[in-house]
Amino acid sequence: MFVAAIAGVLGALSLAVVRALLGPTAFDRLLAANSIGTFAIMLLALFGFLTERPEFLDLGITYALLNMIGTLAVLKFFRYGALGFDHREGDTEHKG
Amino acid sequence: MSAALDILGWAALIGGAFFCLVGAIGLNRMPDIFTRMHATSVSDTLGVGLLTLGMLTQTDDWAVAARLLIILIVLYVTGAVASHALARAALHDGNKPLLSGPEGELQEVDCEQIFPELGARLAKPLLSEMAEGAATEAQTRGVPEEDEDLPDNPGEAPR
Repeated sequence: MFVAAIAGVLGALSLAVVRALLGPTAFDRLLAANSIGTFAIMLLALFGFLTERPEFLDLGITYALLNMIGTLAVLKFFRYGALGFDHREGDTEHKG
Repeated sequence: MSAALDILGWAALIGGAFFCLVGAIGLNRMPDIFTRMHATSVSDTLGVGLLTLGMLTQTDDWAVAARLLIILIVLYVTGAVASHALARAALHDGNKPLLSGPEGELQEVDCEQIFPELGARLAKPLLSEMAEGAATEAQTRGVPEEDEDLPDNPGEAPR
């Protein structure tokens, strides 16, 4: 049954990759990247169960945390043009 | 007991994979960024939740179950936070939501016209939050404040 679930999640992952490649705006790509991260976590967990090696779950936890930090960091970069913005929005151009 | 758990696990895993696929299809077929976020929330909540439930039925190790629950909680919390930040950044960047018009056709809608307070909120609190953040940062660091000339245009559209 894990093989069936893995097949479904792999299909969803490939569709998200399609959106990440096509996405007209940067936000579409970012949303697709977030989804890809979620699907990859589920894929990791399912693969760990399939091969009966639950160590993969630890990788999944790490990836979940990194996924959110990555999304927020890219959003901040889009808005302020730099990661260490100097809290003056008027000075920086909007990008993305 | 074991057979019932297996059946529940089958149903949950297949259902979770199904909802993941539904979310990914919606991500490809929806017309604009906000409806796409709506579609991905399906796979981020129902898909992940059902898949995790299905895996929980297949383990008898409490450490594995605890890790699965941690993954579930982290995904739920961070998914909401990331979606909020993404939607706000998209609105702030000038993306306009698509709404159906009088004849059912899709048209871009300036949400600042419909919700004037939203436009004010989009433009203002960012600046005031940043000013507050700068003030507290300056206090903690002992740096004198130098943000008296912070641009403050509450009524103006962000872009």
